[in-house]
Amino acid sequence: MKTPIQKARAHGLELAIGASAVVLFFVLWEVITQSVRMPYFPPPSVIFENAVSKWFGGPWYSLFLTETGAQQLLPSVGRMLVGWGIAVVLGVVLGFVVGLYPRIAAFFYPAIEFMRNLPPAALLPIFLLILGVGDGMKVAFIALTVVWPILLNTIDGVGSVEQTQLDSARAYNIRWTRVLRSIILPSALPKIFAGLRVSLSLALILMVVSEMMAATNGIGFEILLGQRTFRIVDMWSGIVVLSALGVLLNIAIQALESRSLRWHRGARA
Amino acid sequence: MSAALPPSPSNDESANEMNTVTPLLDVVDVGHVYGTGQTAHEALRAMSFQVRKGELVAIVGPSGAGKTTLLRCVSGLMPSTSGEVRLQGTRISGVPAELAVVFQDYSRSLYPWMTVEKNVAFPLTELSLTKGERAERVRESLAQVGLNGMGSRYPWQLSGGMQQRVAIARALAYRPEVLLMDEPFASVDAQTRADLEDLVLRLKNDLGMTILFVTHDVDESVYLSDRVLVLSANPATVIADIDVLLPSPRDQILTKELDDFVHLRGEVARLIRAAGEDAKARRSAVA
Repeated sequence: MKTPIQKARAHGLELAIGASAVVLFFVLWEVITQSVRMPYFPPPSVIFENAVSKWFGGPWYSLFLTETGAQQLLPSVGRMLVGWGIAVVLGVVLGFVVGLYPRIAAFFYPAIEFMRNLPPAALLPIFLLILGVGDGMKVAFIALTVVWPILLNTIDGVGSVEQTQLDSARAYNIRWTRVLRSIILPSALPKIFAGLRVSLSLALILMVVSEMMAATNGIGFEILLGQRTFRIVDMWSGIVVLSALGVLLNIAIQALESRSLRWHRGARA
Repeated sequence: MSAALPPSPSNDESANEMNTVTPLLDVVDVGHVYGTGQTAHEALRAMSFQVRKGELVAIVGPSGAGKTTLLRCVSGLMPSTSGEVRLQGTRISGVPAELAVVFQDYSRSLYPWMTVEKNVAFPLTELSLTKGERAERVRESLAQVGLNGMGSRYPWQLSGGMQQRVAIARALAYRPEVLLMDEPFASVDAQTRADLEDLVLRLKNDLGMTILFVTHDVDESVYLSDRVLVLSANPATVIADIDVLLPSPRDQILTKELDDFVHLRGEVARLIRAAGEDAKARRSAVA
């Protein structure tokens, strides 16, 4: 058993090791690109300078975004979050319905498994065909392709509730809406969060893919535009912004998860 | 009390008026068969017994005898395939509100995402109580099991014995007429077990709780109870109903030194061994 201080120290050491690897990576990248001039690989200092001036140089009231930043980033994030949000509602609600009835689960499971294993990008042409090139298409595309991990994890989570916990609830005549909300939902939440995390990073990928296929704005569009117009630094800075967005989203969902599942970590320890 | 079959539920009303003569819990000819046809397994056969108000009845039997099946049928968690269970004269279907169950596996019957207080208060949300009454019952029942000031902890921050106390407090706060306990102390260490046994005795003496206590431990069954029901195995049925006339209050050391205690535990143990060997013999005869 480690004391909290020892744990914190170990954690601090891990962080330091991780950080030094990142620093080393950027130093190497800078040194190599500075010494060997390659047109397609600008030095990171140039990329970051461009990213800041192009995307993040704005005032605080526009979230530090420049005009371009706001015009390109906000639509992207909007599409992604709306699509993901629809997927969350759809996945959790359907997951509960299917998960609560093993026979329905048995009926749908193979189909869901099939859909999940289909590479989502392959479906984009169909969405383009039916819904055109607008925002609706992108939102629907994101929603219907990231819903699977949420759905599967919710079904799993709902099915894995402890029988004794349900028996206790039954022994005390707890009404089923309360059983659903206060027992089955919390039991399923760790699995549901696993699904949410996977689907959020998937949503980011699909947002970029959809914007590269058919869009007039957004980060994906900017990256592609940079490549097509040989503004290589612009292309790279778009990629940097995208990875920053990915990191930010991951931090956000992990914060939400550790807040909602504090009991779970404790119970597992 | 007659065990006439088939029972007619029509005389429930008159039965209710005769509480003084009607046993609190009346198990009549309960049998349970799992599955059908070739793979059918008869777990319980024609079980009949009664529990009077304020009594602590222990059910003891060889392991695998179907004790848990019996408890699930008696509590109404699972309908038995034959017979009936009457609580205060009324035939039960489903778990009646006058009944609470403490399960063996405390770590799975408590809710790890709720604090101790919330766990205890959870069943109370279904009763029509004010917030104040609810808080008062939670405080009171936690005090009764010796967990004052532990309300804001989580179950997983407590030891096994303390977790089982929380489960008992949850049952107490519900104020049931009958408390069913399914091998509640089978997974705690010996010292904790002795403490919890004395807690159960205290609840019975101080609060007048009626308790049906299932265990596989012979000493425990005799030490705690007013009556011991001994079960046979496969299928389980009541083979002996033994009055335990040990003086109260009982004491872990003094009571267990009494000649009466020693005789009783010997008697119960012999019955169980015979039942176990009998079941084994029948199994090998079939095989």
